[in-house]
Amino acid sequence: MTDQYHNEPMLELFIFESMQLIEQMEQLIIANEKFESYDSDAINEIFRIMHTIKGSSAMMLFNNISTLAHSMEDVFFVLREDKPKNIDSSQLSDLVLEGIDFIKVEIAKIRNGDEAEGDAAALIESLRVFHATIKAQNYTVSDQEMKDTATSKGYSAHKKQQYYISKVRTEPQSYSNSFQASLFFEEDCGMENLRAFGVVNDLGDLVKEYYHIPADLDHEDSAEVIQEQGFTLFFKTDRSLEEIHRTLGQTIYLKDLQLTQVKNSEPFDDLHEERKILLNDSAKISVSSSREGITNDQKESYSSASQQSIISVSVAKLDQLMDLVGEMVIAEAMVTQNPDLKGLELNNFEKAARQLRKITSELQDTVMSVRMVPLTGTFQKMNRTVRDMCKKLNKDVRLELIGQETEVDKNIIEHISDPLMHLIRNSIDHGIEMPSDREMKGKPRWGTITLEAKNAGGDVLIIIRDDGGGFNKAKIMSKAREKGLLQVPEDEITDNEIYNLVFLPGFSTNETVTEYSGRGVGMDVVVKNIEAVGGAITADSVPGKGTTLTLKIPLTLAIIDGMNIKVGDSRYTIPTTAIKESFRPKTADIIVDPDDNEMIMVRGQCFPILCLHERYHVNTLVTNFADGIIIMVEQDDQTLCIFADELIGQQQVVVKSLPAYIKHTKKVTGLAGCTLLGDGSISLILDIAGLFSVKKTG
Amino acid sequence: MKKLLIVDDAAFMRVSIRNMLQNQDVEIVGEAANGLIAVSMYKELRPDVVTMDITMPEMSGIEALKLIKAFDPQAKIIMVSSMGQEGMVKQAIISGAKTFIVKPFKEELLHKTISKVLGV
Repeated sequence: MTDQYHNEPMLELFIFESMQLIEQMEQLIIANEKFESYDSDAINEIFRIMHTIKGSSAMMLFNNISTLAHSMEDVFFVLREDKPKNIDSSQLSDLVLEGIDFIKVEIAKIRNGDEAEGDAAALIESLRVFHATIKAQNYTVSDQEMKDTATSKGYSAHKKQQYYISKVRTEPQSYSNSFQASLFFEEDCGMENLRAFGVVNDLGDLVKEYYHIPADLDHEDSAEVIQEQGFTLFFKTDRSLEEIHRTLGQTIYLKDLQLTQVKNSEPFDDLHEERKILLNDSAKISVSSSREGITNDQKESYSSASQQSIISVSVAKLDQLMDLVGEMVIAEAMVTQNPDLKGLELNNFEKAARQLRKITSELQDTVMSVRMVPLTGTFQKMNRTVRDMCKKLNKDVRLELIGQETEVDKNIIEHISDPLMHLIRNSIDHGIEMPSDREMKGKPRWGTITLEAKNAGGDVLIIIRDDGGGFNKAKIMSKAREKGLLQVPEDEITDNEIYNLVFLPGFSTNETVTEYSGRGVGMDVVVKNIEAVGGAITADSVPGKGTTLTLKIPLTLAIIDGMNIKVGDSRYTIPTTAIKESFRPKTADIIVDPDDNEMIMVRGQCFPILCLHERYHVNTLVTNFADGIIIMVEQDDQTLCIFADELIGQQQVVVKSLPAYIKHTKKVTGLAGCTLLGDGSISLILDIAGLFSVKKTG
Repeated sequence: MKKLLIVDDAAFMRVSIRNMLQNQDVEIVGEAANGLIAVSMYKELRPDVVTMDITMPEMSGIEALKLIKAFDPQAKIIMVSSMGQEGMVKQAIISGAKTFIVKPFKEELLHKTISKVLGV
């Protein structure tokens, strides 16, 4: 990398944009592969993407990426311009996807600060062969067609350039002055042949008859010649030496200019002859109006690809913004509920405070919505997973996506992509049967996996449904017995409990480990990932019909609606979504079982009580149930009554994770994080699901 | 200060050029992501110089160049090209592009190109 690119933001932008383009391209490939041909829009788009990546990576000096992108660009250039028929689109897809993977890996290396030193030579060679094949095919097309599709691009093999320099005018005699000009361009300016072309073009009508060395400016080799020997131009004009010198002197990147008047027209004529021979030989120089062929790039101009009017912001900045908004929510509470204001009559202050509160809450909502992104990208990625798996395992699976537009907090999306991929691989590997087996069972040859997302309160449900063989209960049971994973007596276990055994660590029903479904470490990693973002996973299955896996994930992690409660001097916050009701208990309703567990009877049902002061060893004066308050919370069909001193009030709180040193030194259970309240005190956010397990085990 | 308009569909390139021109005596008055936007921005902002990418969606740099030139024959447009685009660069020159710069380019080259184009 050169110094100018050492700055991180550029690198980040490069990574971000390239990844986005690559993923977009991957989708295009997979979508088009289904139809076994590429439509012109897709070809255009892929060409453009490869072109952009080539340029960007060359700027960043990632030459391996740039070279690979260039060879893919070449292939799609031919596809776009020549429209060859009978392309092996399956082979093409494989090559391009391989290329995409290579670029992805290299970008990942770059992101991790490693050297992107991967070598794609073999792939480039395959692309070159493919390129040659489709080109060769195209040569069978008639000449006329070739002309029609002929391109103005320099590197196309059959370049029939349409605009050439005018060489001979009918009355050259009227131009008395003959000149010889030698031009040298600065090093590194690139494409010297075209710089020279520009010079000739600039002279335009000033000169009437001219020749130049090298004669063929279209050929890339001429750039080298000009670099080494300069560009020599002979011409006749009616203008003076000064005027010509001034015009040529304006040439950009000009390093050296020698202009001499040729008194004797003989050398000119000699050259004239020489050129003529060349002209006959190669027909490389032809006469034409230089305006011809301008409309040739129409094809280039109209691509139906849509461009989003969206800017990209790094997630870190959004996190920071979120943090600041959180601080502001707290600061607002600190100001408007300041103890100093107690008992004062402040009408105008109240008005202003209300306004502030309204704006703060709007700001907070807006920032929250900015962080929400649709699941589309994550879902679309699964197409690739399904494709690769099917090719490998010779299965036929169709993926249906429902509710991709459902939005989830960006941070959460990052956590669910891998688990989803793993679950889908599992479904294809273990769930969906081979096509022949499916036919025997009277099912369609192809399996269907439905990936669905939908909102459910403060959560998003992601449902993965397959129409495969379903879980094998007996097999799961025997496996669980063998591994000692059964915690419930066997005769009491329900079907649902059996199915959910597969999420326990170290469980895998497939005897033969396959490349895709891993070695039984997969499922519990999936569960861990999902639990890390406060989600849960459940399984349901019908033998012979298929399996349904349901992921429940929260919409966001950053701000929750919470009920603040007080226990002694400590504050706790309970997510409002979990609260069913709160009430002052009557002593008569309290039941104590033989193991000293306290329970409360509500409307004929018995619920366990968790005393926060006991659980977290807080000193409080309120130990008598009648003096405090009970908050009934519910999660995953389980209900628990939490006993606290009093309710403080409902408020939106900003979730901050517990400081690392607390997390590491003490095994904290039942706490999801902490937050700052309006009066500046710290409140601990209760993790309801965690409390249940605390209650069970302890 | 001279006004400059950056036209490129890749945000990376736009930011690259913008960064390279930091502390230079030019003001970047706009960035356009395709030719169509570029033409309308040109009409509105009347920049002194434009850096124009060639391959872009909606409308290519060449087409935009022609439209801008038709609107303002004095427009100074630098084409941003890469290897393999010789044919299109040629069209651009014919259509009135002041000069072109070949990707990948270094900061100094961009400075030089812009100041020379502005000096002409």
